[in-house]
Amino acid sequence: MFVKAAKAISPQYTLDDRFLNGEFVDEVSPVYRAIEPDYSPLIPAGLLRRMGKAVRIGIGAGLPLLQEAGKVDGIILGTANGGLEDCVKFLNQIVEYDEGVLTPTNFVQSTPNAVAGQLALMSENTGYNSTHVNGSLSFENSLIDAAMLLEEKQQATILVGAIEEFSQYNYTIDKHAGRFREIPVSNSQLTKRLEPGSICGEGSSMFIVSNDATDAQVEIIDVAQVTSEDEKEVEATLIDFLIRNQVPADEVKTVALGRNGDARTDHFYTAISNRLTSIESTICFKAYCGEYRTAAAFGLYTLFQLSKHPLLDWNGNQLHFIGNYALVYNHFDGIRHGYILVKKLR
Amino acid sequence: MKRKVVVTGMGVISSLGNNLNENHQSLRNALSGIGKADFFESAYVATLPFAEINASDEQLRIKVPNAANPSYTRTTLIALHAVLEAIQDAQLTTEQLQSNRTAFISSSTVGGMCYTDSLYNDANDNGNPSPYVTSYEGSDHTVRIALYFGLTGYTDTINTACSSSANAIMQGMRLIQTGRADRVIVGGADCLAKYTVNGFNALRILSESPCKPFDQNRDGLTLGEAAAYLVLEAEECSIGKRKWAEVSGAGNANDAYHPSATSDDARGPVLAMTRALDNAGLRPDQIAYINAHGTGTENNDRTECVGFQRVFGTPPAFNSTKSYTGHTLGAAGSLEAVFTILSIANQEVYASLNCEHPQAEFAFQPARSHIQVLPIAHAMSNSFGFGGNCTSLIFSACS
Amino acid sequence: MSNESLKLEFKEHLINYLNLLDTTPEQINDDEALFGGDLGLDSIDSVELIVLLDREYGIKIKNPQEGRQILVDVNTIVAYIEANRTK
Repeated sequence: MFVKAAKAISPQYTLDDRFLNGEFVDEVSPVYRAIEPDYSPLIPAGLLRRMGKAVRIGIGAGLPLLQEAGKVDGIILGTANGGLEDCVKFLNQIVEYDEGVLTPTNFVQSTPNAVAGQLALMSENTGYNSTHVNGSLSFENSLIDAAMLLEEKQQATILVGAIEEFSQYNYTIDKHAGRFREIPVSNSQLTKRLEPGSICGEGSSMFIVSNDATDAQVEIIDVAQVTSEDEKEVEATLIDFLIRNQVPADEVKTVALGRNGDARTDHFYTAISNRLTSIESTICFKAYCGEYRTAAAFGLYTLFQLSKHPLLDWNGNQLHFIGNYALVYNHFDGIRHGYILVKKLR
Repeated sequence: MKRKVVVTGMGVISSLGNNLNENHQSLRNALSGIGKADFFESAYVATLPFAEINASDEQLRIKVPNAANPSYTRTTLIALHAVLEAIQDAQLTTEQLQSNRTAFISSSTVGGMCYTDSLYNDANDNGNPSPYVTSYEGSDHTVRIALYFGLTGYTDTINTACSSSANAIMQGMRLIQTGRADRVIVGGADCLAKYTVNGFNALRILSESPCKPFDQNRDGLTLGEAAAYLVLEAEECSIGKRKWAEVSGAGNANDAYHPSATSDDARGPVLAMTRALDNAGLRPDQIAYINAHGTGTENNDRTECVGFQRVFGTPPAFNSTKSYTGHTLGAAGSLEAVFTILSIANQEVYASLNCEHPQAEFAFQPARSHIQVLPIAHAMSNSFGFGGNCTSLIFSACS
Repeated sequence: MSNESLKLEFKEHLINYLNLLDTTPEQINDDEALFGGDLGLDSIDSVELIVLLDREYGIKIKNPQEGRQILVDVNTIVAYIEANRTK
């Protein structure tokens, strides 16, 4: 599965060259919010008026890729929570109007597959359409789905990606569950000072993948996952994954890690790093995008960019894609772990 | 050559009964599960019929061993219930269950958000967090079931609205066909929730009487709740077991027409059905029975019949088992897959209820009484969801 | 309330309920078709309008079909509000 193009709406300036040039948003904030573009050239006002943020950022990153790619054979997206803001707005109506007369728009928009459905509608695409809502593994599931579709068809092009929106509601719920910090911290400090909890982020990362290697810089070799709180099992899954794909551990020299500054579960990242004995380049992508369930897609986005040109870290040093193989490793709550193995082609 | 995928176990809980046999008996005897809800708490219980599972959360908690966890929602409880039955039916050993070659793909639309009032309070920071504060994710039940059984293999949760669990079955079939798994437990669970009841009511598509699929005077759907799971195995892993049916094909398409309505020309449903037929290597005339999506809304039933006309000319015997179970949303695809397989295994088609005046514009109508001794070599099951998501599955008798 | 100020109030509700971005009350003509015209409203909007009439004016419309007769343009709706409002 070859990655032909990528686009991200994120808390960084990823829609123009500023992110690539090292111009970062680095603010002390309880939430790293996505920087949204002016949608008016892309989305008719009549449609935009109904869209929640999840749908908006999904269309904003996905539709330009669909327009550039021409006809695609499938749209496959991952999102843990979809349009949660619309969902709770509708919920609030239910309670506040005591199940009386309610407006349906929030309900329709809150369906997690509203993004993939709307992308199909706007690009008039009647191809395969799927939405994975498997929590923090939703993007990894979407990649497997895409890989199977490419195997089944001789020649195919697919839009695959992930979306997560911030809403005050899910922030409140996740804060109750102890996932976010009491004291805000800036992007550049997030992974440096370990404390319980992380900082909430959001974003949408979209990719055009194909079984045609022409002009592609990056190939996704395989994807693995495990549901376990046992560090040994998490390491064993990695080793098994590399053996299955015949990639020696010391040939993985570049890693994109989901380190989020949470002192309670950071040890998984250390364990995985120690298992890959020859790491020369590490990118901690959540410092840019914050913690959200499908952030692994942004991890892949950083590797995609890194395969083309170096990125700068927070100290102004250059990060490179070193060696032929790279790994995106991410976990959420230390329970669900995802692994994406990537190869640089040229 | 694709690996053959067979169904070796089924488990179900719905308004028709708490296990496979009870569901089968209700279908055979044309006994609908639609009526007044006893356990579901909503203002609409007084005015609308529902198809409710005949058990409270507390009763469900007792029925499932080791399910006392206070964070288990009704979605998780009914899912556990049906998964347990499916695993037992397929005689899976603990070793097989916990193998990393065994995958689990679930689906739900309401997921962990089935307790609307708890979610309201937790989301709006009213008072102390409820026991469900870590349970709201769509995949909550999937994670809890994976941990409950010690599953180590691939997990997934799909939400494509009303076609969710049909897509879970399709996904499971493809995992086995492409060699990524040897066994997959697939299905879906959705329970009655204020969220969905008020949502569909706001769209003005709930009927005040039990739904009347394919009737000229149909006026909306009836909501129900269910969980249904199937154990799929690669044929070479199923030696010596009873094979309920083969999963012989699946097709998915997007209608690309409207966020919450189907197209007049049924392009999405037609593509889903023809892709499933192509995938199974079958002609339309080889399908002996169709378990229709048949929600009982003006829009769906007309579109689906236009689709039948375009794919089949005159369709084979068809029914809507939503006239028994109501629309169980994310569970509908797998629940109706189970019913389709029961039809194949028992060579019978269940009466489609409440269709007194078939739609005038079509020359065909659903099976209005129980059809016995109908050899069914191949059967189709349709599921269409919001966001234009259309899926057709084809099951075949195992020789 | 005068007919003109009711029209203005209704248009403000219309913009608010349907989230008509960048539209001002002055841009909506009293005899402009709400459905199938420049505003581009659809069936979901008709349900939203029914909710508007219920919450703001205490008018209950049972089904969207009935609504279609009333929800033609601002003139027809405002006339209906004046005749049937309960608050």
